[in-house]
Amino acid sequence: MFFARKRSDPPAMTLEGVLGPNSRLDEAAGMQVSAPGALAVTAQGQLLFSSGSAVQRLRAWGGKAERWAEFPARVTALACSPGGRVAVGLEGGGLVVADEAGRLLDGWTAPADLLSATDCLFLSEDEVAVVDNGYGAGEPFLALAPWDDAARGKVVAIARAGAPRVVAGGLHCPMGVAQTRAGELAISQLERANIVAPGGALLQSGFPGYPGRLRRTETGYVLACLSRRDPLVEFLKTERDFVAEMKARIEPRHWIGPRANPEFSHDFPIELGAARLFGEVKPWAPSFSYGLVIELSDHFVPVASAHSRANGARHAISDVCVWNGALLAVSSASGEILNLGVGSLAA
Amino acid sequence: MSAEIDFASLPKQRVPLFVVSPRRVLADILSKGWVESTIPFLAFICVVAGVLIAADGYFSASNMRNLAQYAADGGLVVLALLIVVAVGGIDLSVGSNFAMSAFTALFCFHILELPMPAVLGLTLATGAIIGTANGVIAGLLGCGALLTTLGTMITVRGAYTLASQERLVQISTSARMDDTWDWIGFGKLLTMPVGFWVWLAVAAVVFVMFRQSRFGWHVLAVGGNRKAARHGGIRVRTTVFLAYVLAGLIVGLAGFLFAARQNSVGSDTGIGMEFFALTALVVGLGGFVPGRGAVVSVLIGFVTIYLLNNAMINAGFRYEFVQFSMGAIIIAILAIDVKFRKNRHRLLASTYLDPVAFDAGKVRGMEGLMPHETRPKLRDAAILAAGKLDGPEDVLLDAEGNIYCGNRDGRLMKIAAPDHSQVSVLAKIGGRPLGLAFDREGRIVACVAGMGLVRVTLDGQVELLTDQTQRSLFTVQDDTTIRMADDLDVAPDGTIYFTDATKRYDIENWGLDLLEGRPNGRLLSFDPKTGRTRTVCDNLVFPNGVCLTHDGRHLLVASTWECSIMIFDLDNLGAGPRVFLSGLPGYPDNINRASDGGYWVALAGMRNPVFDQAMRYPSLRRRMTRRVPPTNWLFGNLNIGGVLKIDGQGRIVDALWDAPDGPLYMITSMREHRGALYLGGVTNDKIGRLPLDGADASWTGPSSYWGGR
Repeated sequence: MFFARKRSDPPAMTLEGVLGPNSRLDEAAGMQVSAPGALAVTAQGQLLFSSGSAVQRLRAWGGKAERWAEFPARVTALACSPGGRVAVGLEGGGLVVADEAGRLLDGWTAPADLLSATDCLFLSEDEVAVVDNGYGAGEPFLALAPWDDAARGKVVAIARAGAPRVVAGGLHCPMGVAQTRAGELAISQLERANIVAPGGALLQSGFPGYPGRLRRTETGYVLACLSRRDPLVEFLKTERDFVAEMKARIEPRHWIGPRANPEFSHDFPIELGAARLFGEVKPWAPSFSYGLVIELSDHFVPVASAHSRANGARHAISDVCVWNGALLAVSSASGEILNLGVGSLAA
Repeated sequence: MSAEIDFASLPKQRVPLFVVSPRRVLADILSKGWVESTIPFLAFICVVAGVLIAADGYFSASNMRNLAQYAADGGLVVLALLIVVAVGGIDLSVGSNFAMSAFTALFCFHILELPMPAVLGLTLATGAIIGTANGVIAGLLGCGALLTTLGTMITVRGAYTLASQERLVQISTSARMDDTWDWIGFGKLLTMPVGFWVWLAVAAVVFVMFRQSRFGWHVLAVGGNRKAARHGGIRVRTTVFLAYVLAGLIVGLAGFLFAARQNSVGSDTGIGMEFFALTALVVGLGGFVPGRGAVVSVLIGFVTIYLLNNAMINAGFRYEFVQFSMGAIIIAILAIDVKFRKNRHRLLASTYLDPVAFDAGKVRGMEGLMPHETRPKLRDAAILAAGKLDGPEDVLLDAEGNIYCGNRDGRLMKIAAPDHSQVSVLAKIGGRPLGLAFDREGRIVACVAGMGLVRVTLDGQVELLTDQTQRSLFTVQDDTTIRMADDLDVAPDGTIYFTDATKRYDIENWGLDLLEGRPNGRLLSFDPKTGRTRTVCDNLVFPNGVCLTHDGRHLLVASTWECSIMIFDLDNLGAGPRVFLSGLPGYPDNINRASDGGYWVALAGMRNPVFDQAMRYPSLRRRMTRRVPPTNWLFGNLNIGGVLKIDGQGRIVDALWDAPDGPLYMITSMREHRGALYLGGVTNDKIGRLPLDGADASWTGPSSYWGGR
């Protein structure tokens, strides 16, 4: 007992070095989309992106988007298979699979206990891994997760005309899944700010943001972050009574915590350094919303990053993908698909 | 026009008589200057206690007298050394100087047989000459103090040895007797030895010198920072020179006392004295610290070392052992002292903020008027002087429509009517000009944070009216100085009522006052006829805007953190404040008259549920200030603010907001003038002008107060 070592996590990363601030997201070319969420590139090289409950298709950057399919609920995830299948995750835990033309395929049913389909990934042509972060439709997981201890998230593999199997359970707000070069799964967790293997083994931790989706690239991975970590929020996690009262008495909209939008409102708290000067928000001001895309190596070590800082609007990056060599990102705060250009961010 | 205010029927505002908090008392004590000497003083107490336990009758009256007799000359040498160290030098020649002065005294007395005043004068002159030599070489020529005084130490010691060997027999066989000489050596005055009184007198003079005299301040300034002292216009070399001369003079006096007592000198007279004195100095000062004239600390250090040394020798220890123990004890004292000094500021920083649970109550009277419920009316405002101002906390308009406002850089700016595009500097005040008002003569009276109350004529003449008030009865901290004069108004009889928003924080740290949530502010008055400043009401929670009611008989004072407006009855200020309006949706700043008999209230920031809750968790706020960087502290929302319109009875009748990300936010002041409202913000660089529908287009502030000027 006396010699039991205090368990300590590796030190968290700071926004310095390769994670140092820049304005790449603000400078990137953007395409206005109403309520964008997920991205995927089909086997034929077309870009699918969600816009509310619809999915649109884009043949080339700068071209006109066309309607690909419409669904009864908001589209929360998209994935494409090499064989031309498209998996669509729907708000509330629904899953449909269609062919590249948008025709629904039979035999795919999501298990009833799925609360959300936050992300999906084809394990094979006949099996889709679906990430369920444990928060149902209408639950603002970004506000809730930092103050939640329960690890309700899981990754479920759903086979065509087969029984679903839980690939990984006991996850804390998992947000994204990707396949490593070795064929294993890597899962990003929002509040834990890490990437884990299905068995729970840490692949990387201490990210300076709230990780969203994780995508494989030629050289490694890209991680979309929904916001950045904040010392005040981290501190308040140790103030149990305060948080309990906040959760009990105040509606989540007014809570302190990461936000998906840099909007001003009279009933949001701010941090002292975020006070405007001469009417302007200082780029270095603390903010509860932030835009951050992190490029990772094959071993999940950050190699480059793109930011939209406190004075920017392209916050809450909900998805990323590589399309024709260019890195695309979705800013759900500004409602845009951003084109970060061809090649690595580090170049 | 405006309805009567029924003061007596309003609820009483609770104002504490004094604030009791152990943490605050600790913080206030830690911020006192004399806390620096804590460790030397504790060491002194320990030594006294140790001697009391170990030795019987050591502190008997006769022994004390004896000690006082022998300690005097050493004590004087320590004072001399303190002056030299304070100016940033060092004097190793004090021992040689001491011996030489003693020899001179004996030579003049026994061989030349001069009268006593001449003996004293020549002895002092000897000390001063050696001091002059040091001063010329180290001070005027700028050679290093250590090498210079090492040189004079050896030279004077050589001269002393030569002279004393030649004359020693003659001196010891002299038969001259003198009553004054013996009285100085052995006499008593009020039961204590004469030498002791001389020591005490010199200590008192040096103490006063460092505290009160120009020369003493110059010495400390030069020692503290030579370059800054030179830039400040102090003649550095002369000051250093004079410090050495003064030190030499005091050493001469010590030599004289020694000569009168011992009536002889030996080859070892004054040897090792410089190191003994340096040790005492270092123990007293807690290190070798230039620029500090801590006479009392140094004397405590000296007495500690002296007692320790004397008691151990008396106890019969071997001299070598005494030296060994002394060295070890001194190192221990110094180590503890250095640690204490290093951590004192940290301890102070972590105890100074002393939050208290605070509940501003529910928002009331704002139904249908909150920012999300109404059209942002300030969007219609024109923007004036954009980018030409830096933080116009208050805006003031004269009858011609010229706008006056303070800048963050301490200047008072004038924005000329009618098009308000020309910005010029009216006066350079300094400090941080905040609230402004016109007096009857049309001069501007300004509250300046960091300065006090200042009056500026329209041709730019600046006059400081007051910067101090009475000290409160129950505080450790001296709160006479007005720290953050915030806003003011002028009563019909000319009395200026103004607020000192917080006595505990400077303008840069006003945010800490909110996190503390204690009643740290006060309402003051200044009577220009008598020049007297009075504390009208102490212990208010961040009193901010001040406005005389339309009837001229009451005073409205915004209590920013309480989100309320207090009211005072000018005929009965002793009755204390009552609550005019409470439950505001934000933090009220300045209050000003409206043309229709109501008032405008500026909201500098907005309350929000999370922050209101945090105000009920004082220990959370304290932990937050320790663990979270200041830029990330949870705070009230300063990025949105607005203006409330209240009627003469204190009911909210309208609310003016800008769009959430609009240019007019954190509004700290507004003035109505000829049918328009002018808005200023302490963190903004522009002024807003909002035309008011249906407002009296002839109404101006100066005419409302002083008639149709």
